[in-house]
Amino acid sequence: MFPTLQLGPLAIQTPGLILLLALWLGLALAEKRSARHGVHPETLYNLTFAFLIAAALGGRLVYALRFPSAFAASPLNLLSLNIGLFDPWGAAFVGLLGALWYGRRKRLTLWPTLDALTPALAVLALGLGLSHLASGDAFGAPTTLPWGLELWGEVRHPSQVYETLAATGILLYVVFRKPAGEGRLFLEFLAASAGARLFLEAFRGDSFLLPNGWRVAQVAALFILGAALILRERRPAR
Amino acid sequence: MKIKQPLFPALRIAAILLAGLAWIVLSAAPADAPAERLPAPRAGFPAPPFSLPALSGETLSLSDLRGQVVVLNLWASWCPPCRAEMPALQRAYADYRDRGLVVLAVNATDQDSLEDATAFVRQNGLTFPVLLDERGEVGRLYLLRSLPTTFFIGRDGLIREVVVGGPMSEALLRTRIKTLLEETP
Repeated sequence: MFPTLQLGPLAIQTPGLILLLALWLGLALAEKRSARHGVHPETLYNLTFAFLIAAALGGRLVYALRFPSAFAASPLNLLSLNIGLFDPWGAAFVGLLGALWYGRRKRLTLWPTLDALTPALAVLALGLGLSHLASGDAFGAPTTLPWGLELWGEVRHPSQVYETLAATGILLYVVFRKPAGEGRLFLEFLAASAGARLFLEAFRGDSFLLPNGWRVAQVAALFILGAALILRERRPAR
Repeated sequence: MKIKQPLFPALRIAAILLAGLAWIVLSAAPADAPAERLPAPRAGFPAPPFSLPALSGETLSLSDLRGQVVVLNLWASWCPPCRAEMPALQRAYADYRDRGLVVLAVNATDQDSLEDATAFVRQNGLTFPVLLDERGEVGRLYLLRSLPTTFFIGRDGLIREVVVGGPMSEALLRTRIKTLLEETP
């Protein structure tokens, strides 16, 4: 695991760097293929920036609302670059609102836009697997299998490797998939990702569990898989 | 009997979802899974135990602090972000020590000067325990890769969060401390 990259006096957080690279490469790939979905490349960049800016503002605002006294004591911390001062759910929710607002302003059509974004999402998913490998997050359950890796005091499933391999397979599918009807590429990506998570979560050592031992992420993945498959059937084929 | 075309996709989806549900049941966590993990320097794991001499001369063990919220800060006097965040740590310690907060500042003495570290502590009026990691033992135990690194440890001895690098903002420090102090044991 390589959580930091030391460059002289600078300590760079490798997982964050990997995700930034994945975002950049993903957008570049999506830009090259956006014309086949009738979406202008600039639209993808602007939509992404709208999401990121809204997410940054929303994440910080929600966090400050949760802990007002800490910011009252040091108001300048509202502008802090500390990543720990963001609420992830607030960031995701406000980010989505920002993207929706931009989409409505530019009168974007939903399904072609989602299809155009899918290559970027697939590259980001691969980046996430690699960032977990770097940080040691999303670690595996203990195992006696010969390909187990020692991590955090025990020999574990290399779940970050499983995740990265699955994301690579899904990315290749997205890249080589022949043009289908509007929305099908995105929904197939969603179904494949949910299916992969449903399967691979069984090998994780950090799952949130329901009282009966079922893994929360697997149950959520099952619902997303079902919704994606049903919606895909309703989308007209090309 | 030939299955009607519109029915086939529905059956296929149902089969996939049933298979998914079966996998969830088959791979459910066993009831007798071990509750405790081995100590490791990451969130969700018990903080690796250690004992070190303090600047004051006494020896302090992390295990003696079970039941209190511990902010374990690894630092060195030559490290600018380490120096920058110390006043915020001191203020937080002064405000919250009566509620069960301990700040443990472990100086990486194997890569620092004891004289410089002592002078820094005196000049800044730090009153929390400053421990001396003369052989780099805690640095190795906690996989120290960058200074400063801060571990937020709950009353149960489990690490809640690791912050690599700094300086930590005062807001981050206070919100994390407050959340841990308010946890019911």
